[in-house]
Amino acid sequence: MFPSNWPKSRRMKDSKQMTKDEFKMTNGRPAALRARVPLSFGLRHSAFLVLLSPLLLHADPPRLPLPQEDRTNGKHTLAAVERLKPLTVACAARIESPLGRAICTATIVGEDGYVLIKASEVPEVHKTRIKFSDGRSADLREVHRETRLDLLLAQAVGITGLRAVSFGGAHSLGLGQWLCSVADAGKETRIGIVSAKFRRIPGEGAAMGIRMDAKASKDGKGVRIVGIASESPAEAAGLQEDDVLITIAGEKVGAQDRVYDIVRKRQPGEIIDIHYLRKDKEESCRVRLASRSKVLNNWEGEDFANGGVSLRSDNFPEVLQHDIPLLPADMGGPVATLEGKVVGINIARVDRVTTFALPVEAFWTEAQLWIKADRHPPKAVLAQ
Amino acid sequence: MRTSFHLLLLTFLLSWQASAAEQRQSNEKPPKTDLSELLKIQSDVQKLLPRVRQALVAIQSGDGTASGVIISADGLMLTAAHVPNDPGKDMKVILEDGTVTTAKSLGLDKTTDAALARLKDRGKPWPFVNLSREVAKAQPGEWCFALGHPGGFDKARGPVLRVGRIIKQTANSLHSDCVLMGGDSGGPLFNFNGEVIGIHSQIWEGRDQNVHVSMAPFLRSWEAMQKSQVIKTWGTGAGGYLGVATVMNDRLDLEVADVIDASPALEAGIRAGDVILSVNGEAMTDQQQFSATVKARAAGDTLKLRLRTHDKERDVSVQLAQKPQDEGQ
Repeated sequence: MFPSNWPKSRRMKDSKQMTKDEFKMTNGRPAALRARVPLSFGLRHSAFLVLLSPLLLHADPPRLPLPQEDRTNGKHTLAAVERLKPLTVACAARIESPLGRAICTATIVGEDGYVLIKASEVPEVHKTRIKFSDGRSADLREVHRETRLDLLLAQAVGITGLRAVSFGGAHSLGLGQWLCSVADAGKETRIGIVSAKFRRIPGEGAAMGIRMDAKASKDGKGVRIVGIASESPAEAAGLQEDDVLITIAGEKVGAQDRVYDIVRKRQPGEIIDIHYLRKDKEESCRVRLASRSKVLNNWEGEDFANGGVSLRSDNFPEVLQHDIPLLPADMGGPVATLEGKVVGINIARVDRVTTFALPVEAFWTEAQLWIKADRHPPKAVLAQ
Repeated sequence: MRTSFHLLLLTFLLSWQASAAEQRQSNEKPPKTDLSELLKIQSDVQKLLPRVRQALVAIQSGDGTASGVIISADGLMLTAAHVPNDPGKDMKVILEDGTVTTAKSLGLDKTTDAALARLKDRGKPWPFVNLSREVAKAQPGEWCFALGHPGGFDKARGPVLRVGRIIKQTANSLHSDCVLMGGDSGGPLFNFNGEVIGIHSQIWEGRDQNVHVSMAPFLRSWEAMQKSQVIKTWGTGAGGYLGVATVMNDRLDLEVADVIDASPALEAGIRAGDVILSVNGEAMTDQQQFSATVKARAAGDTLKLRLRTHDKERDVSVQLAQKPQDEGQ
């Protein structure tokens, strides 16, 4: 009756093995059978496999989940880059609001207080303070704003004796090259790798994330909002559906094309004042514009679980892309190789997997000229 | 499928992270990583990358984008089940070098998110990578690297690399800290032999919460998937639940030894001592076959069992249930 599987069945019979129909045998097994387990272990084990999982095919039992500290950015792994802190963390600073909230990070480029910052994060330099890792803090003076690079050169007022970063070339770095970056508002380091090709990131201008009624409002006095994008500048500013826009940046708007024109030619990060009607009552708010591509792609929250993105995430002449887990407030900080050479400045947190840094080659020659011009302003020529 | 990803916000994930930290195993290497270990990883990744990246593909299916990996010269391809979602579906495929071709989805395992597809053009050998058959070797702590096309194919950017560590291994999946997002779905996770150990599948909100289908469901269901079958079970992927314990009796019959309280089997009148002769017409000869038969069916499916009780034969219909939480694997 069992020509082919007779021996197997025999042994099975001997072992009196039994299983519940899909899983472990723990409690259901009568005690009398338990005593026979050693005899039947091998077979029972193999019969079990089908029921449970291929894990049990192997002698190695599955291990516990990897503890936090042993993960790629856990403290045991980061021990490998601890000695780089004097070359990275010590050369960075934190830009704060007057209340001490971290706005972004700065990279120290001159011992006499010169720092580079992500320009679109600090539209109003006079409303910020800089705090160094040695505990000193100072006001900032805007020296040069380069919108093309989204960089701002500023000087910490009255500060000297800083440690400036030591720059090294980025273009020789290949995919998979380890990098470390300043994180946690200038206090810690995180590691990751060069994750994609160096390239230019085209820009599509700014947006605030509203959909408008194609028809002008009945009395022709404004444009009605019919939709607000998820996590958009408009949402952050508190604009709602059915609000009627009256003026944008001081200009009266009577049709949606007008709104579009005003917003599009501005830069992400710029602040515009808006007056609108809500239930026939006039209100106003300030909207900080974001990159149009980002707002459109995330209209319904498609780009979830990203931990926050930068307002300006495109329109860069060249970027180095890496996978270091950073936050928008870490932008402006230095990115270094594991030899401690700074190869770029973090410029945009784009999505869950993407951070852009400006490679040294894209800005440093230029930035040195800005510093030089500020240290040695042309002498005033006396009028004859 | 624009984002091509599932998001599961589950709080239990936090609890396993917390407990794991307290229970370090004693036989592990010294906890601190040194620079030379990182540099070794870097050089290994950079050596493997030029070869393995050629096997990565971007997939465009419907209005969504995803990834996949070629695993044989004749164009067999692994991806995630939620990418094609059905067998026999045509998908546009873009290779790393920009070559555009077409693939047809074969079978898929909706329980574990594993899917097989085949490039239609059989005229030339495709670049491919091997998959790892040693599923258990992908253990927490091992370094790994991920490739994919997050956000879709971008020629100027190319594929996106991520290097990280395996955080957790489950029956059908691996969790890693290689951060994934929409468009990565179906892309490969590699070990340092350049073999595929995972297929990107899901994320949770945390940066360390990236889930890959392990090779286990692929290896287990390989034949079914090649035959374009759909493996479908509900819920946690445990398969249907009947609720009987079996034993081979002295006459070599498959006998019911015990019936679990409140189980579908008990409700259907199955009792200890019944001999199971067949399931849906298929003769049952051993426990292994019986268990596999039950497990292959989803909760909600109905099984027809032919039983013999005291020399009388009868048929019983049982609707399988979801396996109770506390009895799970």
